[in-house]
Amino acid sequence: MIETLLNFLNQEEVLQVIIVIGSMILFFIGLFGILTQRHFIKIFISIEIMEIAIFIFFIGLAFQKGKTAPMLGDGITKFINMNDPIPHAMILTAIVIGMAVLALGVSMAIEYNKLTGITTIDKMNGLKN
Amino acid sequence: MSLKRTIPMTTVSGFGVSAVFILTILNILMQNMPSNIYRAGDELLKLNATDGVANSVTTVVVYFRGFDTLGEIAVLFIASLGIGLMLTNNNLNNISQENSNFMLQIGAKLLSPVIFIFGLYIMIYGHLSVGGGFQGGVIIASGILLLLISSNGFHISHKFVEIFETLAGVSYVVIGLIGLIILDSFLGNFLPYDISKMGLLLSGGIIPIIYIIVGIKVGSEMSVIVDNMLKRNIDD
Amino acid sequence: MMSSIYFIALPLLFGFSVPILSKFGKNGVAYTSLILQLSLFLLSITLVLDLTTPIVEVIAISPPLGIALVSDNVSMFFVTIFTFFTLVLSIYYMGQRENKKYANENKFFILLNMLLASAIGLVLSSDIFNIYVFFEIAGISSYILSSYEKTANALEAGLKYLLTGAMASIFLVFGIFLIYLHLGTLNLALISQNFYTLSIELQLLIATLLFVGFGFKVEVFPFNLWVSDIYEGSTPLVNALFSSIVSKAYLFVFFHLLYLFIPHHNFTDFLLSVGVISMILAEIVAIKQTNIKRVFAYSSLGQLGLLFIAFSMQTSDAIIAGLYILLAHSIAKMVIFLSLDSIINKYKSEDISVLEKMNSPFMKWILLISMLSLLGIPLFAGFVGKFLILKTFGIAGYFGIISAIILASLIEAIYYFKLIGLMFKNTEKGDYMEISILQKSVLLLLTISILFIGVYPFILSDWINLASETMINSHTYQNIILGVQL
Repeated sequence: MIETLLNFLNQEEVLQVIIVIGSMILFFIGLFGILTQRHFIKIFISIEIMEIAIFIFFIGLAFQKGKTAPMLGDGITKFINMNDPIPHAMILTAIVIGMAVLALGVSMAIEYNKLTGITTIDKMNGLKN
Repeated sequence: MSLKRTIPMTTVSGFGVSAVFILTILNILMQNMPSNIYRAGDELLKLNATDGVANSVTTVVVYFRGFDTLGEIAVLFIASLGIGLMLTNNNLNNISQENSNFMLQIGAKLLSPVIFIFGLYIMIYGHLSVGGGFQGGVIIASGILLLLISSNGFHISHKFVEIFETLAGVSYVVIGLIGLIILDSFLGNFLPYDISKMGLLLSGGIIPIIYIIVGIKVGSEMSVIVDNMLKRNIDD
Repeated sequence: MMSSIYFIALPLLFGFSVPILSKFGKNGVAYTSLILQLSLFLLSITLVLDLTTPIVEVIAISPPLGIALVSDNVSMFFVTIFTFFTLVLSIYYMGQRENKKYANENKFFILLNMLLASAIGLVLSSDIFNIYVFFEIAGISSYILSSYEKTANALEAGLKYLLTGAMASIFLVFGIFLIYLHLGTLNLALISQNFYTLSIELQLLIATLLFVGFGFKVEVFPFNLWVSDIYEGSTPLVNALFSSIVSKAYLFVFFHLLYLFIPHHNFTDFLLSVGVISMILAEIVAIKQTNIKRVFAYSSLGQLGLLFIAFSMQTSDAIIAGLYILLAHSIAKMVIFLSLDSIINKYKSEDISVLEKMNSPFMKWILLISMLSLLGIPLFAGFVGKFLILKTFGIAGYFGIISAIILASLIEAIYYFKLIGLMFKNTEKGDYMEISILQKSVLLLLTISILFIGVYPFILSDWINLASETMINSHTYQNIILGVQL
């Protein structure tokens, strides 16, 4: 019973469908959060959820079943039948950039809060028509 | 009263519109699953066999797409600068004036050397096995975070960290420019790299050197960010 | 040895080495930055003069796999503009440095140079993920520059910019990931060759994602509601950067990608209507503004709408017109925002009545000339572009667009003449405004170039014609990149 389930899940098409649906659910949770939440920190968390969802989507779909990690070692001595290394590098770059922007945003929000006492974006209306 | 009646209507219609929107995007993505096409990465894997580095992700990050990594370092540098600009020189009460608990103090003293050595290992062996400069740098910064939250006496001097930060950043660009002069290609691998030495610590020419530089840069930037966020240090 | 990599490597090197440079006296950083920008400007001039065939600067491995910087006519056109305006801005800042020095001045110079490097990187890069990285460097420097003064308004502007920018980058990176998954490459030339092989829904999805991602930064209609707030919160010096350099770099990249990926006129009508809506809306809202920075922010948005219309046509005539408008707008906005910086610092007010108080005949005439140029009056630089764009659309038979452009110009005339009237009103003036000789010469140089381009526009026509040919022709671009072997 469990074995048939595992075998079913181990098919590449099934894995891809699960990854697409799962990551898109996460993505829209984040989008929903951005559109409905008003608190700075909650918005930053929503942005981060969206970002992570896209990373999962990309790395999940870039993975090809039956191929090894793209490095030598553990008896592997040739660069054949390996997964694509570029998505790993891209995700690494994108994660660091996302983290940097988020950290800057949080520190700006802290400073803004210190000056004005405001914690939500709908009260943030010092600049307006 | 009219407000009470309109809220459910807007909610329902918003829900409907977003459901259609979500289903459309899901439909497009499901109908266009990526096939196993021949990608640029597969070509790079072939090339990777000629440059003497066992971990091909490292080669891609540091060498083939090294320009992206330089940009990424720049982003981190600017973010750290901005956080320093935002969060310093405001006479705040230090947030953790009271002593942290005994277990944390002892645990931090025991664990921090291990964390630092682990971080250094991950950093230095980035071209042979999983890991690399970013991961190692972040691990070292996490060790510093542990020390910062556990003991009141510990503080990092921004002037001291700045030395590492500056040297790492400058030498990254300078190595790139040396490659431009010698090999006519920015970030070119101008040091000798022997394929037969693949898997040894000294292999791959400039690749491990750059990854260690990246590690130092990331570690110092992250430590400064963490320190600024804890607001212990107002000596800048 | 000349290479386009210096445009990016040297500003980064400068940024990283500021702690060392600050040891050389209190002017070390400022003068190094000035020398750096001067040498980059000279480098761009030399490269432009030498440019017979496009140069591809290979980084690590040759293009279809690695990253390469392409300097052709159009990208060097933009690089020259960017280096020139950054140099001008630095010199202007040096002129006021003794009186009003920024706090943490070294950080300002770092951010300025990083912004320059990223704008140039956006224009030169031939790899879509590399474009994303420069997109983020430009973004993060702009967020910090907006909130540089750390007042409540400045921080609000920075936060708004950061939130929208973070959203934009998520959509952009989603689009890039889809491209890599389905085409297996990040190189612009290869994507350009194979983009049509994707299924039509996927093409539409990727195009939408990239449009949303760049739309926030190009400041077109559905995404530009926050832009005026940012201009209001930031200092005019930073606004000059945003208006003359950053938004132009994003605009170029957006249309560069559009011409490469979708060379057929599939979206022309859609993009034209986006441009028309953002132009008309911005000009209408500008009339009732009382904050002077906001007036010029909406005027920038209106001009960007006009540029969007020009580039959306996807014909080389329209691009020529667009490049003329872009050049004229950049110069004029540079003059306006630089002088506003001095005016606002002097009279401590941001209301438009500050123009009434302003007591400086020199500033008056400088502002008058640049506003007339923005309006498109003959004999000023703005006229050439507006005339050419009307001519192009007239030949193509888009009379709706022509009437929209004329309507926008009329609305523009209302508020510009209101401002001009305020300046030349015979009321009691404030204190006399001292302008240092350095600042005066910078403004004079820019104003003379407005008049010169207005009177004799054909001095640039060879260069701009070549640039537009290069920009529209995706096959040339593919051949340039794919023909290179290291």
